[in-house]
Amino acid sequence: MKEKVVLTLSLCKQYQIGDLAVEALKNLDLEVEKGEFVSIHGPSGAGKTTLLNLIGGLDKPTSGKVVVFGHDLGTYDEDFLATFRCAYVGFVFQSYNLISTLTAIENVAFVVELAGWLRERIEERSENLLKLVGLEHRANHFPAQLSGGEQQRVAFARALANDPPLILADEPTGNLDVETGLEIVRILEKMKAERKTVIVATHDGRILELANRTLRLLDGRIMNK
Amino acid sequence: MSEIAFPIKDLTRRKFQTGLTILGLTICMSATLFLVIFGSNLGFEIAFLSLGGRLTSGFFNIFSRFILVVGLLNILAGAFITSFLVYLTMSERVRDIGVMKAAGCLSGSILGYFITELSILIFLSCIAGTIFGIGAYYLSINLLNVLGFSVSQVLSLWAVVLIFLVLILVSHIFGALPIIKAAKVKPAEALSPLYSLGTTFELGRAVPSKLGFTLKVAYRNLVRRKSATRQAIICLAVVLTLTTVTIAGGMIANQTTTNYVERAIGRDIVLVGHPNLTERYVNVLSQFFEDKEMESIDYLDPRYNISESLVSELSNISGVLKADPRLVLETTVYEVQGVIIDPEEPNQYILVGDDRFGEALVVGVQPERVVNEWLIFGRVLNETDVYSAVIGDSLALEMFSDPQKQAISVSEENFEIAGVCLDTLNNGKVVYIPLKALSTELGQPGYNLLFLKINSSESSQVLAEIEKELSGKNLKVVELNEILGKHVNFLNHIWSFVMFLPLFSLATATLCLLSYLMLSIAGQQREFGIMRALGAKPRSIMKIIFTQALLITLISGAIGISVGLFVTFVFLIPEPVISQNTILSVAGWLLLTLGILCLSSLYPAMKTVKKSVVSAIYSV
Repeated sequence: MKEKVVLTLSLCKQYQIGDLAVEALKNLDLEVEKGEFVSIHGPSGAGKTTLLNLIGGLDKPTSGKVVVFGHDLGTYDEDFLATFRCAYVGFVFQSYNLISTLTAIENVAFVVELAGWLRERIEERSENLLKLVGLEHRANHFPAQLSGGEQQRVAFARALANDPPLILADEPTGNLDVETGLEIVRILEKMKAERKTVIVATHDGRILELANRTLRLLDGRIMNK
Repeated sequence: MSEIAFPIKDLTRRKFQTGLTILGLTICMSATLFLVIFGSNLGFEIAFLSLGGRLTSGFFNIFSRFILVVGLLNILAGAFITSFLVYLTMSERVRDIGVMKAAGCLSGSILGYFITELSILIFLSCIAGTIFGIGAYYLSINLLNVLGFSVSQVLSLWAVVLIFLVLILVSHIFGALPIIKAAKVKPAEALSPLYSLGTTFELGRAVPSKLGFTLKVAYRNLVRRKSATRQAIICLAVVLTLTTVTIAGGMIANQTTTNYVERAIGRDIVLVGHPNLTERYVNVLSQFFEDKEMESIDYLDPRYNISESLVSELSNISGVLKADPRLVLETTVYEVQGVIIDPEEPNQYILVGDDRFGEALVVGVQPERVVNEWLIFGRVLNETDVYSAVIGDSLALEMFSDPQKQAISVSEENFEIAGVCLDTLNNGKVVYIPLKALSTELGQPGYNLLFLKINSSESSQVLAEIEKELSGKNLKVVELNEILGKHVNFLNHIWSFVMFLPLFSLATATLCLLSYLMLSIAGQQREFGIMRALGAKPRSIMKIIFTQALLITLISGAIGISVGLFVTFVFLIPEPVISQNTILSVAGWLLLTLGILCLSSLYPAMKTVKKSVVSAIYSV
């Protein structure tokens, strides 16, 4: 039996917006095995981002459990979750979320530095990752000086920096044109080939095709287990 | 949407940012207003002491110059901080401006919307700041009065109006700058989530890789937000200049003025004379701190004479270090005009001064025997002087235009003014002239008062010896140390009163840094959220924020403290006296100030990390 990397049990997440309570996830049960490439799709507001945030330990469930690599994330404090994210999860956001005051290479190195790598290895690792996404020539450019596709490639390099076993990507091609999106699809292909566990929220047909399993999320529930 | 409806809706829907800006501006406005009106009230109180016949003009000048410089720095600091907070707030709106431009809004309309918004923010803050500033003023005055000081509650309305107008004007000018700048940014740039007004795209000097992770991130954050960092440093440097001037200036000025008094009266000085005359002399000396009515007295009454033989007998007592016999009298003195070369017409001469006159204490001294060491502007009298004089500071300021180019007439004889001394005797209305000349003019040789400098370690024995020597003679011995103590207490009382300013300046500096950090961190909220999403612990974010505050505080501290010390030594205090204790106290206070400033960053840092990662990342 394969190792279960992600396990959610009756997962609920509710947001309070003024007087209105919005249920983003409703009793959601999900299992993801090691090396699986899972894509999640569904209309806007279906709860895709919320699910990824909960799996990544960025947010805590209102009720239910989210267990990732054996850790019940709802029970841990912020310090543990930060260490957990650094070691286990690589995040890719739809809006890139690069740090504007850091150059491309510094954005990648930031994560490696956080993990406490040796000084000499940080530079080498960051350069290699930029090379992997084909951006070694843009290493010293700031995010605002890069195109959308380039920024997303830096974001992927950053997500891979600590060699995390789980990659979470939220609409990675959502802000990109078809051509640029293809570069991202290729990076995801590489990840799949490396047997990384990948969970992607996407509407992009090319990424959906890559997936071992595709889940449809609607109103906070998985419709096609 | 109308030019009023949009800004009002925009402000009310961005409650946190609007609240933070109004809070920051209100704190700044109220602190500036409070410091200026409180300072001017202190100035008036001290002026009142001077007008009431106490405090010499020289000492009054030191106090009033101190309060004036502090007041000016207050206004400057207030203007800088207000403008900076407005700049920071408006820099955050670049993206909104970009959206409006992209939607087809004309630049003129955008300017109209945001300038209206700016005006609403400024007016609300200035009105709230004025109310809080005046409230704090009355609260402090009442507190001081409860503590035993006597301060009037008069509020100088002109100062309130002036500060209100200055801050409104400056805020508008500096607030409009980023709006105009932002209005010029291309819509595409403005809409980019990564574009930020004032962020530089230069790599700058490489961060040494040996620096720790926190220091590296903090350093990059500061260096690459160049204009915001530069403005923050300028603002804090001005505030720290103000704090240094008030803390260091206040302490050094306190010690220096105390030293001036000690030099003027002399330490371990014993006064010998007829009881009527010693009592009179003590009263004349006490005028520095208490206004006493005194009847006229004939100083030249033969009963008051002290013989030469007595002077030599007393000076031979073991433990008497110096004997300084004097002839003292109160009389009318006259200003004598001086003649100088016209600086514009070298062949012409012009007259300096007028023909003013007034009552003064005239003291005939033998320059080589004088026991006092006044602070003198000009030169002291020397043995060869015959018709030269040194006059007191109040006399110089009230009766002369350019004393050292003029002369003074005593008993119809003119004496060239060699110098002006800072003296508390007769409240600075005093003239020192050579004894020989005074005796000749008055036709009365001899002395009527004798000053003995004694060895402090054997003072009781020496005093007993002197008393023994004087037994049977109608002469009294008065120790001047007691009256010197009263002088020092009086000065300490005024300084303790004035030193409330540094406390309030420190509070202002802390509040300003806090406002800056709150706004600055609010601007970096999203990036801190991203860092946390990538695995940075809340403690690491706090460390980064603290390090940023530390770097800014240290740089602005180095600038502000240097400028503050320069202002103190060059403009505030002539011939400052600084003991090792003062240096240690000043350094201690300044370190405490910097420490409080840095620690104050922990509050916004804590607020930041308490926010959930998701809300931080998606904060706009």
